Amino acid sequence: MKKIFTFTFVLACFALSAQDFSKNLATAKSSYASGKLEDSRFAMQQMLTEIDLAIGREILKLLPAKLETMAANPKSDNVTANTGLAGSVIHRDYGTGEKISNIDIMSNSPLVASLNAILSLPFMANSGDGTQKIIKVDGYKGILQKSVDTETNKTDYTLQIPINATLLTLAVPNSTEADVIKMANSIPVSQIAKLVQ
Amino acid sequence: MSKFLLACFVSLVITSANGQGFVGKLKQKASEAAEKALEKKAEDKTGVKTTSGTDSETQSESESSSNGSSTGRPTNKGGGGLVSTPPDVNQNLTDAETAFKAGSYGEARYAVQQAMLGVEMEIGQKVLKSLPEKVTALPMLPEEDQVTSTGYGWAGLTIVRVYRTDDKELKATIANNSSMMTAVNMYLANGGYSQQTGGQQNWKQTKVKGYKAIIEYDESSGYKLSVPLGQSSLIAWEGINYSSEQEMMTAANAFDIDGIKKMLGEQ
Repeated sequence: MKKIFTFTFVLACFALSAQDFSKNLATAKSSYASGKLEDSRFAMQQMLTEIDLAIGREILKLLPAKLETMAANPKSDNVTANTGLAGSVIHRDYGTGEKISNIDIMSNSPLVASLNAILSLPFMANSGDGTQKIIKVDGYKGILQKSVDTETNKTDYTLQIPINATLLTLAVPNSTEADVIKMANSIPVSQIAKLVQ
Repeated sequence: MSKFLLACFVSLVITSANGQGFVGKLKQKASEAAEKALEKKAEDKTGVKTTSGTDSETQSESESSSNGSSTGRPTNKGGGGLVSTPPDVNQNLTDAETAFKAGSYGEARYAVQQAMLGVEMEIGQKVLKSLPEKVTALPMLPEEDQVTSTGYGWAGLTIVRVYRTDDKELKATIANNSSMMTAVNMYLANGGYSQQTGGQQNWKQTKVKGYKAIIEYDESSGYKLSVPLGQSSLIAWEGINYSSEQEMMTAANAFDIDGIKKMLGEQ
């Protein structure tokens, strides 16, 4: 029953988005034809936002329902389309209490350039103290960073994978490297890459 | 007698050696002439200048010395550049629709961006047409007209028109969805910043055709006058070798600010 409800909700969202897209497309076309260029441009900006939202929803469908033992929290699934400098952000989190993890995918991320620079310099990418290393997930290189909380002695991990101009971040507090790598490997990075191209 | 015979033999050998040298030289000259004739024919047919032997060496040496490089790479002497054609808006909107319906969101996004780029270029051209052809006796330089658009909507549309005579210049820049807006609006919103209490006054608030503006003066770059238009547009004039603030204001007043604002869709 719950699955049927979720499916119907997703379908309704898509239908709504498709409807808005068509409406804005019609406005863009008619405004352009009548010489109202600024109105046409505004309608196109709205279309871009709707496309970003549609992409976000498709990516959410691709993300795993579980990361190791942690189940996804569909209620906190979120897609924010900005058509702005920071681009759109797709968020999903997993688990409850102390065992949690987050996946964030940000298009046009300003961090991508610096991460790509690190990835292209192996001597910079792998730190001697083991706090930073390069791993490969589904064929894509990413930077895995470890930080230890000095008070609680817990180890937090952050994996950042640049995909073209998009940045995928997996943050797992209080975990082990092996677990984080297992979780990362359940993310279909190459399929996400196709959508964000 | 034997001496005479020896002398004859030596002279014969020398003559024959000279003869061989002479024949060799003749052969060399003949082959050079043949090569030159062939090259000339090839040049006539292809229209490409070729060089060989010592000539080419001399030429390449002179080229490399004039280019300052010794890599031997040829330098580009022209190619016509790129054809700047704005994207077809209607075609891109149709492509976007097809791609969106097929679920190819990446393609749809690209097509909408191209359509936006096309519309922004048209807006830019329309604004340029509306600008005056002469300002404070300075004629416009149409070859320096510029419309820059990213097609993203947020990074904006920039339109540039230059007026110049000798060392006097006025550059008008119209920016839509510009990040420059933030700074200018901050100055205008905070009255306390508006006047300097001591020292030389380098900038101040003013009004152009009823719009709040900021005028700045710098000894090396001259006057700069910025007027925010509506929510997200800005028009700025940079005047080099303008004699006074008043002259700069007169130049700005020659522009139809209301018309520009309307074209950019500002309220």
